[in-house]
Amino acid sequence: MSAGLYTQLLDLACGAFLLAAVLVLWGRELAAIVRVFALQGVALAAVGLLLGAHEARWDLILVALAVGVLRAGVLPYLIRRALAVSAADRGSDEVRETQPLVNVAASLLTAALLTLLAYAVARPLTELNPTPATRALPVGLAVVLIGFFVLVTRRRALAQVVGFLLLDNGITATAFLATSGVPVIVELGVSFDVLLAVLVLQILTTRVREAFGTTDIDDLRELHD
Amino acid sequence: MPYLSHGAALLLTAPVAAPLVVAAACALPHARMPRPAAVRSHDRLPSVPAAEPFPAQPRHRHPADWAGLVPPVVIVLCGSLLAVDVLGAGPVSACSGLLRADALTAWMLLVVGSVALIACGAAPGYLAGERAAGRASARTGWHYQVLVQSFLAAMCLAVLTANLGVLWVAIEATTIVTAFLVGHRRTRTSVEAAWKYVVICSAGIALAFLGTVLLYYAARQAGIAEAWALDWPTLAAHADRLDPSVTRLGITLVILGFGAKAGLIPLHAWLPDAHSQAPAPVSALMSGVLLSVAFAAILRYRAIADAALGADFTRVLLAGIALLTLALAAGLLLGQRDYKRMLAYSSMEHMSLIALGAAIGSPLALSAVLLHIAGHGLAKSAAFCASGRILHLTGTSRIGRVNGLLARAPSVGGVFGFAVVALLAFPPFSLFASELGIARAGFTAGTVLAWVTSAALLLVLTAFAALAARTARMLLGPAPTAAGSPGATEPGIWPLALGLTACAALGVGLGPLTDLLHAAAQAIGDR
Amino acid sequence: MRNTIGYAAVVGQVVVLAAGAPLLTGWMRQVRARLEGRAGAGVLQPWRDTRKLLRKEPITPVGTGPAFRAAPALLVATTVVAGALVPLLSTDTPVSGHADLIVVVALVSLGTLALALAGLDTGTAFGGMGASREMTVASLVEPTLLLSVFALSIPAGTTNVPAIVSGAIHSPARLASPAGLLAVAALAVAVLAETSRIPVDNPSTHLELTMIHEAMVLEYAGPDLALVELGAQMRLTLLLGLLSSLFVPWGIATGLSWTSLVVAAVLFAVKVAVLGAVLAAAEVFWAKVRLFRVPELLAGSFLLALLAVTASYFLNGAS
Repeated sequence: MSAGLYTQLLDLACGAFLLAAVLVLWGRELAAIVRVFALQGVALAAVGLLLGAHEARWDLILVALAVGVLRAGVLPYLIRRALAVSAADRGSDEVRETQPLVNVAASLLTAALLTLLAYAVARPLTELNPTPATRALPVGLAVVLIGFFVLVTRRRALAQVVGFLLLDNGITATAFLATSGVPVIVELGVSFDVLLAVLVLQILTTRVREAFGTTDIDDLRELHD
Repeated sequence: MPYLSHGAALLLTAPVAAPLVVAAACALPHARMPRPAAVRSHDRLPSVPAAEPFPAQPRHRHPADWAGLVPPVVIVLCGSLLAVDVLGAGPVSACSGLLRADALTAWMLLVVGSVALIACGAAPGYLAGERAAGRASARTGWHYQVLVQSFLAAMCLAVLTANLGVLWVAIEATTIVTAFLVGHRRTRTSVEAAWKYVVICSAGIALAFLGTVLLYYAARQAGIAEAWALDWPTLAAHADRLDPSVTRLGITLVILGFGAKAGLIPLHAWLPDAHSQAPAPVSALMSGVLLSVAFAAILRYRAIADAALGADFTRVLLAGIALLTLALAAGLLLGQRDYKRMLAYSSMEHMSLIALGAAIGSPLALSAVLLHIAGHGLAKSAAFCASGRILHLTGTSRIGRVNGLLARAPSVGGVFGFAVVALLAFPPFSLFASELGIARAGFTAGTVLAWVTSAALLLVLTAFAALAARTARMLLGPAPTAAGSPGATEPGIWPLALGLTACAALGVGLGPLTDLLHAAAQAIGDR
Repeated sequence: MRNTIGYAAVVGQVVVLAAGAPLLTGWMRQVRARLEGRAGAGVLQPWRDTRKLLRKEPITPVGTGPAFRAAPALLVATTVVAGALVPLLSTDTPVSGHADLIVVVALVSLGTLALALAGLDTGTAFGGMGASREMTVASLVEPTLLLSVFALSIPAGTTNVPAIVSGAIHSPARLASPAGLLAVAALAVAVLAETSRIPVDNPSTHLELTMIHEAMVLEYAGPDLALVELGAQMRLTLLLGLLSSLFVPWGIATGLSWTSLVVAAVLFAVKVAVLGAVLAAAEVFWAKVRLFRVPELLAGSFLLALLAVTASYFLNGAS
């Protein structure tokens, strides 16, 4: 693979990765959000595969494939199942993010600001070792920030789960781009933890619905001082 | 040079393995049992006592409850043996460097083990009370055992590992394992607490992982090999080669992230909710050791940051966080009406004092921090376990509805009172010595830190007044006439009394632990 | 000779724009009619409408001032100047040195502003409503237009539009980068909004409450209305032409020869016709979004443009 083509493909994968995060922010239908999230998983795996192919490291390619299976297959499947249960239980009102705390237009503008912030923050990281991969590092950080923003402003329980996963995708992308991935044992532990966290959150979503009759997290305001 | 032996490998793996074995032993007999439908409905509707056979049963001993005491004993034993090894021959490591014990590890293992001893010793009494109240079944009993033992294993792994990545995995695992313990009652409040707990802690901890990744990047760029770039001793030894700006970003994220788990601002919101909703022994474990295990991680990173960036960076960050957390905790303590939440805010107060000590960073301050971790763990776990018993006795967690505890149940009220006195840092309890140490170190560390310390002491005084007034209200006064017969002997009160005695003993004199404490403070201090 | 061909190119651009704009609108209506199963009025219908309107007597409502009277002429004039500057047929004209990106966007928004003022000047409810809506849309569209072309100007190193276009002709890889793709998406949305097409506005609506552009020009009649219509059609053609010049630049004359100019004119007609047909077909399948969601759409396109700028600035190592 020539250097130019590699850079071009890597940029393309990173662009798709960031675009998917923005689309998650744009969407209202939870089903569509989950689909976009799965696509982001594919883009993330592509980033890993490209880096692995470029550096001819088989372990990285395997890790990227595993990450792809987890982020584009297993996790979206879990969320979709929880979504189907919600919809069957409470009707279509539960599967839309009707009123986020910050309206969609403002969140898109905020995402623009967050992206600029990510570029500003990532400058020292890029300057340490300027390669095509580290130049794309701001993309990973921007997705982290957007994920945090989704987590804070969305009211549906499952939308918050997607926000958490966006955050995690961003961190994984940062790890790929900065250092071609953390050591395998750590990556395995992290993936396992994320999977378990999503399972826990899925079960908690069910309990929230049983206890409150809705998955609107804004209704969770019994504990306060 | 760390030396390797089979004995060391056993000592290093046993604290993690023992709880896991007990957890598996509790889980296996039940794994194949089909869930009885009656139990499920019982779980969801805790307030139907007559239909259920459990309250009618005589209070027989549940042997599985007592099996939970084995792992804490193992942890304490391994901790002491490791302490001897470490003091004699320096750090030991096993599993190709993944597990490593220095003096700080041994100290933290001792704290984890002894607090777990208190919590697990109080657990059978607590579970019996829950069964009597019709809130627990056999199933919740073994669920509880499995989750608590896995929780212990995760905390021991976090303390024992030398790999910063594995450390992160272990601390995140504690969140996952305890989520269901926090939300075990499935009421609106407990589900809400569990949701907040998982979301805030996972997101906060994710930030810490991002910081870890950035440090790994800096280490790789500094020429450290891939296998050792997340190894704490290697990083601490070569910290001066790390790129300062990348390290600064990474350390900030790590402190904010693990600070979430340690109950520090800005991601502290889960703490009072989770502590007030979890079963009392679990609250004891979370407040007594989980917070300090997370803070021990911050102490490890602080050692790297100080070598890479100079002491000022973490000093400003930690001191700022400590003061803000302290102000928040003191303010919320003033208006507190729920005694479990009151204890939770007191945990935040003590964690911010610990953070202040870490910010000062002199050997005296670090020794005081470690002593404070131990003393707070012992006293707070006793207080939480006693509060669980109070909840059983009175059926309410409102401070205003509880009075005359000393007249009504002298043993429980006494333990609770002594625990709060210990938390207020009265002599002879060890928190007195450690708070004095932190204050002395602060006043000798320069003008700015002296001002910060005096502000902190002022806030501590506010918290002191609030805590003392509310506890006195609960303990004193005549017993309500409607109260049932006062229990002559409270089951499961002896571990709490033992814990408080240990706390007082630490305050009087450290004895053989003195060397370990100093070695631990040296391990994370300036080189 | 050199100047002759150059000025011929400029005149050609303006003539093609002015004469072709009604034809493009007619073509789009025809495509739409056929897709909906109607016979359609024919490609020449907008010209016939214009001729009919021009024959009517000029009339203005009572109480309107110079803003109302000057707006149609200003709209057409700004569009003509922008059409002369933008490299629709040739990148090498005597005026191409002045064809700065910011000038072009300013000219386009000057026309918008003139119309909005005219809408306010009438003092009617619908005029004011349309003007306020138009300015809301414009406040998000103008930055998007600027930013998305700016994303393309970074690799070219200049904000001169002809230089950007000729640079893209010589190194087409620039257009296939993520920055290029994001910029084209953002610019497409901005063009739809600026020309009042579905999904932002419906050009053929008769329901006043949902109108934006039409609400502003409700009070015009006769020759003034003909000018307003012509101006709107020319803006559509101009912006579609700009889109095609920036992202499908092949065929635009870079040198000075009569043949290349003729080829460029033919290719321009083909490109714009294809774009118009695609747009018309899309309009058959899309519905107009609710007015309250228009800012979302525009904010999204702004974000895409910003991402395009940051991507082209940082990923290419310009920092």
